[in-house]
Amino acid sequence: MQIYLPIAEITVDPFVIVFLGAAVGFLSGMFGVGGGFLMTPLLIFYGVPPAVAVGTEASQIVASSVSGVLAHLRRKTVDLHIGGFLVAGGGAGAVVGIFIFRYFREIGQIEVFISIAYVVFLGAIGLLMLMESLRALLREPTAKRTRRKHRSAEWMAVMPFATRFRRSGLYISPIPPIVLGFLVGMLASIMGVGGGFIMVPAMLYILNMPTNVVVGTSLFQIIFVTAIATVLHAAANQTVDILLALMLLTGGVIGAQIGARAGRRLKGEQLRALLALIVLAVCARLFFDLALPPDALFVVEPTS
Amino acid sequence: MRRFAIMLAALLCVGTARGADIAVALTDDRVEVDADFSGADLTLFGAVTGVEDDADAFDIIAVITGPSGDFNVRPLEQRGIIWLPGDPAIIKDAPRFYASSATRPINDIAPLPDQAQFELGVDNIAAVDLYADGDAAHPFNAAFLDAQETDGHYQDRVGGVSFVKGALFTISAALPASTPVGDYAVAVYLYRDGVMIDSDTAELRVNKVGLERRIYDLAHQRPVLYGLLCVAVSLLAGWIAGLAFRKS
Repeated sequence: MQIYLPIAEITVDPFVIVFLGAAVGFLSGMFGVGGGFLMTPLLIFYGVPPAVAVGTEASQIVASSVSGVLAHLRRKTVDLHIGGFLVAGGGAGAVVGIFIFRYFREIGQIEVFISIAYVVFLGAIGLLMLMESLRALLREPTAKRTRRKHRSAEWMAVMPFATRFRRSGLYISPIPPIVLGFLVGMLASIMGVGGGFIMVPAMLYILNMPTNVVVGTSLFQIIFVTAIATVLHAAANQTVDILLALMLLTGGVIGAQIGARAGRRLKGEQLRALLALIVLAVCARLFFDLALPPDALFVVEPTS
Repeated sequence: MRRFAIMLAALLCVGTARGADIAVALTDDRVEVDADFSGADLTLFGAVTGVEDDADAFDIIAVITGPSGDFNVRPLEQRGIIWLPGDPAIIKDAPRFYASSATRPINDIAPLPDQAQFELGVDNIAAVDLYADGDAAHPFNAAFLDAQETDGHYQDRVGGVSFVKGALFTISAALPASTPVGDYAVAVYLYRDGVMIDSDTAELRVNKVGLERRIYDLAHQRPVLYGLLCVAVSLLAGWIAGLAFRKS
């Protein structure tokens, strides 16, 4: 069976797409990550135009974050106050990201640009995760980690407009959350990712937010920013393929359930090492696609 | 004696051609094609009229041309360790769909000047003439044609025209799912012994129907509304999916 995707303008096998959604859903359920940073490259590997992969992935992340956000809101593990600043920065970042995306699209380099962005980010994050998890695996399993200090860094303390964020128990300037949101918002637009893999560590180690509100607040920011990015991509580039997004989602929800169960059988460090290897493999494939001589030495594209 | 027979045949040919009672006509001058998710097979019917001869004596070349547009062709260049698309060359007003069908290979039917004049065959599309220096064909041209043929947007079908019964013939072409919508022109050329005897044209309207088309139209005509709808659909779908799995 073949289905023609109206926006991607390619014919795909819906079962392959649903399976792809399930595979990435499995990984995201298992590792507790969003999966956008794996899904976008996989869509590109399958032949979806990179610009469409990014725009579509933004809308799929909206869908796959809904239930998580609702659950966290019910449990009151979302800091709406700090989340509001993150969203404000994220919205602005998404707009700037769209302009950058559009610029590279107009000069005809968007595909290469997306690939390079992924190689850099996946490479850096994969290596960091791998090193960290290997260090953890080699260390004594009982060794206790040094406790994090619940105090902000000095450079943050000197920033103006310090505000009290009750749920996080922080008294910090809203500028760092806005800047963080802005950077992640840019990534959402340019790469079609939620950005949780940057947001969560940044919230923990830079903003010093307590662990229990980090995931909920990050999801809260992600759903707003990817929704904004979806509308912007649709409006500016016409690259959101809702049919593709729905097929991916169908596989994704099923895969995530199975993955979450499978994840409980593995230790945290093992999981992280495994995820790091997957991330590095995707990174390597993207890199070789850029570096090896291409099959066709020309690119043909309609200008209108 | 044998020479005489050939001469006589030649005379007869000229006679009938001059007589202008041989004509080729398509049975429909306007055809609607509903291309859906999987593309469409297009079949057109036509007839050669005013002849008693066997249909085998004739050859037909049909050319279906879609709406035209501009294309960028970029060479991939190695910069450092990666390959980047270089500066584009623009192919102007090239058809976004082109299909030729013929009873036999076009080279066996029509002389080269005709092929060039009537753009018979993918290689004779006049718009594809980047930096033509008279003799040397630019590699961009071939690259462009290759890409279009791979997408199914350009095709040459030997045997795409065939006589069904007597003087009735069919023209077939495959419209891929990504076929552009719009007005298409169909030109039919009737040949005998390397000489064009008659031609006819018709129009074809390619429409797309169904959900896929509506999504495309909405996304391109009301992009902001479409974007908002995408978000709404995603939220709804995600919420439903969440409910479905919370209970299990």
